[in-house]
Amino acid sequence: MAELVVGISDLKVSNNPADSMVTYALGSCIAVAVYDPAVKVGGLLHYMLPDSTLDAEKARETPGMFADTGIPLLFKSCYSLGADKKRMVVKVAGGASILDESNFFRIGQKNIMAMRKLFWNNNVLIDAEDTGKNCNRTVKLDLATGKVFVKRSGGPMEEL
Amino acid sequence: MKINKRILKSIRALPPFPVTIQKVMALAGDPDSSLTELAAVIRLDQAITANILRICNSAYFGLRRPVDNVGDAILHMGKKNVLRAVMAAGLSRYFRTARGYDVKGGDLWEHAVAVALMAQICAARVSHPDDPRLFTAGVLHDIGKMVMGEFVHEAWQRIEELTERRQYSFLEAEEEVLGVNHAELGGEIALLWKFPDEILKAIAFHHRPDLLANGDTVPWIVYLSNQVCHVMGIGVGTDALAYRAVGDVAGRLQLRQRDLEDMMAELHRKLQGARELVQIVSEQKDNGRG
Repeated sequence: MAELVVGISDLKVSNNPADSMVTYALGSCIAVAVYDPAVKVGGLLHYMLPDSTLDAEKARETPGMFADTGIPLLFKSCYSLGADKKRMVVKVAGGASILDESNFFRIGQKNIMAMRKLFWNNNVLIDAEDTGKNCNRTVKLDLATGKVFVKRSGGPMEEL
Repeated sequence: MKINKRILKSIRALPPFPVTIQKVMALAGDPDSSLTELAAVIRLDQAITANILRICNSAYFGLRRPVDNVGDAILHMGKKNVLRAVMAAGLSRYFRTARGYDVKGGDLWEHAVAVALMAQICAARVSHPDDPRLFTAGVLHDIGKMVMGEFVHEAWQRIEELTERRQYSFLEAEEEVLGVNHAELGGEIALLWKFPDEILKAIAFHHRPDLLANGDTVPWIVYLSNQVCHVMGIGVGTDALAYRAVGDVAGRLQLRQRDLEDMMAELHRKLQGARELVQIVSEQKDNGRG
């Protein structure tokens, strides 16, 4: 059984039920976990920024860096392994912020908004969400069951 | 400043600041010093020499072909970069696992390097001269944690109670429970190491640049760089996001949201080029973060 580590601005997909995927220490970044239970195809994305118009070249090099390039690529990569949009279960976590963020840049909030807007425009429902607050998170996707687990800083691994 | 004497005493157990780095700092700042002198000083320090070639050959320094000796490395990198490489090679030894913050030495070092790189990126963006003090202050901003870790570990329950249930920031909890925060303690270490006042202040106030009366930009750049790395989850521990945003950093440095996002993207790319710099501290895990 392989545990695939998804780095920052990275995404991985698999159709091997023996695999699991994990991404560590999400702060303002967001993890999007998708899974098609019929064919046991799943993927995990760890994006950092909301909008690829920031830098078209970086978006080409590293599409997983942005919500609007990473999320479509995550879905398409799953389709190529036989997943179907209608069956996809979507769970998201992250988008946290530091305390008193009004004094700072609201990067976590912007990441949450970008993702919600994208899903809304594409008629995708979010099945479970653990976003915002000021804790960092580790997210795990189990390919055999499609279960997603979230561990908040200092806390136990809990199913989302 | 109410300082806990027991903690203050324990900073004396830290190894002294490497003499080689002191000498290199002096030579790098002296326009009359020669590259040969610089190479001679570095070669005397085996620990630094062992690390420095790996560091110099990392993509970060952008040398066109690999170098295999200290003399060539210096010749191709220029004095400012030599100083950075020597700092990295010599200071990484201080970065050990910090128990109370639940973070491994390798992760702390990655955080230190990331903050130093971000400080450079930020300085370029706000047209602040590329000052070698920024790299030093960036790498060493959390040096206080190396000593605080044990004490935070001992007092963990009380600190957690304050941060989890009473909306204290981690810094405020350290002050309340231990009588000193890790930034102030870092300032005390900088004092012991006889650092210039600007570096000392940038370390001691890296969470509270708003408390400094003068208008120096360096502490604000270190503050912003550190906050961004915390927010991105780069090499952080239990204290990850339990810090307060203070003052109007965007206004002070005249940065827009878009600038910050650009800087984050650039840091991601620079960190990939700086792998060798990061990996000189062992226990490195291949983690994704953010």
